[in-house]
Amino acid sequence: MNRRTLLKSVGLGAAGVAAHSCSSRDEAQRLLDGQADRLNAEGLGAQDLTWSKAPCRYCGTGCGVEVGVHDNRVMAVRGDPLSPVNRGLLCVKGYHLPGLLYGKDRLTHPLRRQESGRLQRISWDEAIDLIAQRFQETLDQHGPEAVGMYGSGQWTVFDGYAALKWVKAGMRSNNVDPNARLCMASAVMGFMTQFQSDEPMGCYEDFEEGDDFVLWGANMAEMHPVLFSRILEHKRTDPSVRLIDIATRRTPTSDYADLYVEFQPGTDLALANGILHLLIEEGRIDKAFIKENLTFRRGIEDLERIGYGCRGENAESYTFRDQARESSLDEIRRLLADYAPDETARITGVSPEQIKALAKLYGDSQRGTVSLWCMGVNQHVRGTWMNNLITDLHLITGKIGRPGANPFSLTGQPSACGTCREVGTFGHRLPADMVVTNPEHRAKTEEIWGVEAGTIPAKPGYHTVDMFRALVRGDLRALWIQVTNPWVTLPHLSRYQRKPGDGRFVVVSDIYPTPTTDCADLILPSAAWVEREGMFGNTERRTQHWDKAIEPPGEAREDALQIIQVAKRMGYDKLFPWPENDWHRAMYEEYRKFTLGVGKDLASYDQLRRARGLLWPVIDGKETRYRYAAGFDPYVKKSRGVHFYKAKGYGERAAFWFRPFHPPAESPDAEYPFWLCTGRILEHWHTGSMTRRTKQLHQAASEAYMEVHPLDARKLGLGDGDQARISSRRGQLDLPVRIEGRGKPPRGTVFVPFFDEDQLINLLTLDAMDNISKEPDFKKCAVRIERTS
Amino acid sequence: MMRRSLAPALLLILVGCSGSGQRVPVPEVEEAWKTSAAGRAERRAYDGAPPVIPHEPLGTACTACHNSDGIFVAEIGYAPASPHALTPGLSLESRCQQCHVFQRTQETFADSRFEGAKRVSQLGARMYAGAPPTMPHGHFMREDCVSCHAGPAAREGIRTTHPERTRCGQCHAQSEVKGDFAR
Repeated sequence: MNRRTLLKSVGLGAAGVAAHSCSSRDEAQRLLDGQADRLNAEGLGAQDLTWSKAPCRYCGTGCGVEVGVHDNRVMAVRGDPLSPVNRGLLCVKGYHLPGLLYGKDRLTHPLRRQESGRLQRISWDEAIDLIAQRFQETLDQHGPEAVGMYGSGQWTVFDGYAALKWVKAGMRSNNVDPNARLCMASAVMGFMTQFQSDEPMGCYEDFEEGDDFVLWGANMAEMHPVLFSRILEHKRTDPSVRLIDIATRRTPTSDYADLYVEFQPGTDLALANGILHLLIEEGRIDKAFIKENLTFRRGIEDLERIGYGCRGENAESYTFRDQARESSLDEIRRLLADYAPDETARITGVSPEQIKALAKLYGDSQRGTVSLWCMGVNQHVRGTWMNNLITDLHLITGKIGRPGANPFSLTGQPSACGTCREVGTFGHRLPADMVVTNPEHRAKTEEIWGVEAGTIPAKPGYHTVDMFRALVRGDLRALWIQVTNPWVTLPHLSRYQRKPGDGRFVVVSDIYPTPTTDCADLILPSAAWVEREGMFGNTERRTQHWDKAIEPPGEAREDALQIIQVAKRMGYDKLFPWPENDWHRAMYEEYRKFTLGVGKDLASYDQLRRARGLLWPVIDGKETRYRYAAGFDPYVKKSRGVHFYKAKGYGERAAFWFRPFHPPAESPDAEYPFWLCTGRILEHWHTGSMTRRTKQLHQAASEAYMEVHPLDARKLGLGDGDQARISSRRGQLDLPVRIEGRGKPPRGTVFVPFFDEDQLINLLTLDAMDNISKEPDFKKCAVRIERTS
Repeated sequence: MMRRSLAPALLLILVGCSGSGQRVPVPEVEEAWKTSAAGRAERRAYDGAPPVIPHEPLGTACTACHNSDGIFVAEIGYAPASPHALTPGLSLESRCQQCHVFQRTQETFADSRFEGAKRVSQLGARMYAGAPPTMPHGHFMREDCVSCHAGPAAREGIRTTHPERTRCGQCHAQSEVKGDFAR
């Protein structure tokens, strides 16, 4: 050992000694407790930042952040240690939030497309006139079914409520639908068909209370990183905690799993049925719970009758409706005989031993089980069925409605729950779980809105895919799109190519130019995130309010205000009777009326302004962590353990549904031998219009790629980084190949992320849909891979 | 484990050899090993943002090098210790890439006007000459003081003279909240 090496090791040692003897977690926590009032603290040297609270702009987790502002600019954010969601932690997208506001190509003025195709700056007054005039003309000439609005799970509660009112009460149309239809519509229908109420019964505390966490097709490490870190920390402090990853490819999540279960795409239906079969046959069910709380149902199960929404007479308009019939545990037990372990193994590719292990886990009454899922289950041609089956596993074992034992649907967008689901910005919905097909629901809505009886039509509006099909056909002629980018995200995208000047009128409100603004006749600049006041509702029923922290750039305006101004220009002043400089509180308190007394009770505006979000129902100022559970849910009488009191149509019981296995709409064959799965990655939010303009995120992941198994790559003569052509029956792309990247698909499967607007993977995907939710399946279609060089 | 138990002995040897008990024994390291203030800022969108990873992926677990002590990596330099071993909600088993990402390109998608808050050098205030300075920054996410204030990767100027003292908060008080107490 020479002197230099010696010195190096010594230096190391000095640090080591100190690090280990110095520190304990208790000591660290004690020091942190001493700075509870960090919101008012100044930690950034001479920078004179003013801090205010807001939820993160990105995913459905709803992390609390503190936004540091100086001179009308956001210069920093930090995780809010007082937020019960993230307790001060964030993910890489959250830490880089300020970047989304400052791209140099922010849209700052209304732009109208000329006949030449060029964009011309116009005033807001002209823009509002133009929209009012074109929508009115369309209404006059073609009726209310020819106008529509396409919104987003990134709409604030205010935006969604304004849109719902303008479309349904103003224009008397039901054509309003959000991109949440592409995202968690199947979870909605799962909850509605089983509990007749759309909400998760658990909350994030399940992540510290559960013993076994079962992920069904969800890459939580990348898509819900902060929640995943809560599970990991729970697992670290309690080594008996297990994580089970049920998936079609290995992801960064799989690295942390105690058990990785790989199934053939689409066969999760059979796998869940295989587990149910074993649970019932082996008697690992909670008979007392079943007797008291469950009812059994079947629906239409005939594949020919249901179809996929993408072929034949369903290819333009998919309106299949399920019909429920009563069933019994005995009948379902007989039906599940088709899913004995050997047969389930044959369908799914999962070994009988793993199927038995999963049944043992779900059937172990001593351990709390939390099932988690997101797009793998929801973007599925039988996504509602799959939601039903996961919940069935909890119902039949009685593992529901108590801390650490719940089915928990993860959502993708920051207000998919708060806006789309709770406000009800779907073609068939009204606020607080009401639907347009129910006359009482329409009457209640009309009363609260102060409009005449019969204003709201009873026929549901278009669901998203049909809405854009109708636009192409010409049945829908005037469409306003806000806070979303459909010309990147719709499946089988080549169906929707349009050129301005085709007789339709498309308005797009956004903060940056996108492929969707390229298709617009009129582009409106929106205020983003903390440039306006807002409210989001996250995955666990938490409503979070934030105040405006800075002025928007140029003439950019809040989306809700854009709608209000157009509505007023069209003569619907009565719908928005509030002064334009002070309407948020009044609008929210009107909306809140829908939620009171029906088990959806939202907190008051003033309470939300102060709180780090509150879990509804909020009764007497107190939030509710667990639904349907005595001692937690104020609507449940203390004498009952669990009471599914919202399911009036099922005698206040939860419905267990039998749902069989159906194959995907398109499977690999000789011509197209690979499965294609698409999705998000950690660094990018959806189509990347915000995250790609954030330097650190773009530089970490700058372009789309295709993940290929090493043996498939070798057979095709492809090396890591080579360009290859991927093609389906609908389109093709050239992409760099990634082998042994962050995701590791099995042989016969490739994965491509969808954030890259220069490489539109949705040119290849299939517009097959879930039969009940009408949510497209972005996870399964057949493709071919070829060398290009 | 072996290395840790040997460390105190080696420290004593060094102190004995150099004859100096006043200053922390820091080896003569190349500049590249140390993080300069400019380098520190370059890796962060703003002061308080998680740094991007300044090296290529090495095909190994981050904590193989960025463990609770930090280690010397041949040809690259000194891997600083992880400061998160004590962060509530995190540990050395957390997923580093939740917050820290590689830079795989230097290109940008679109120009940005974002200006991040900068760290302005400031020393902890002392009540009088010779009093221990207060901590000039918050320490959420950096509870493990020595991960930055000791070891070869520690910047000049913020190195502790006494890494062997074990409870930093015993003498260095928090000073993050401004203003005076008054009844």
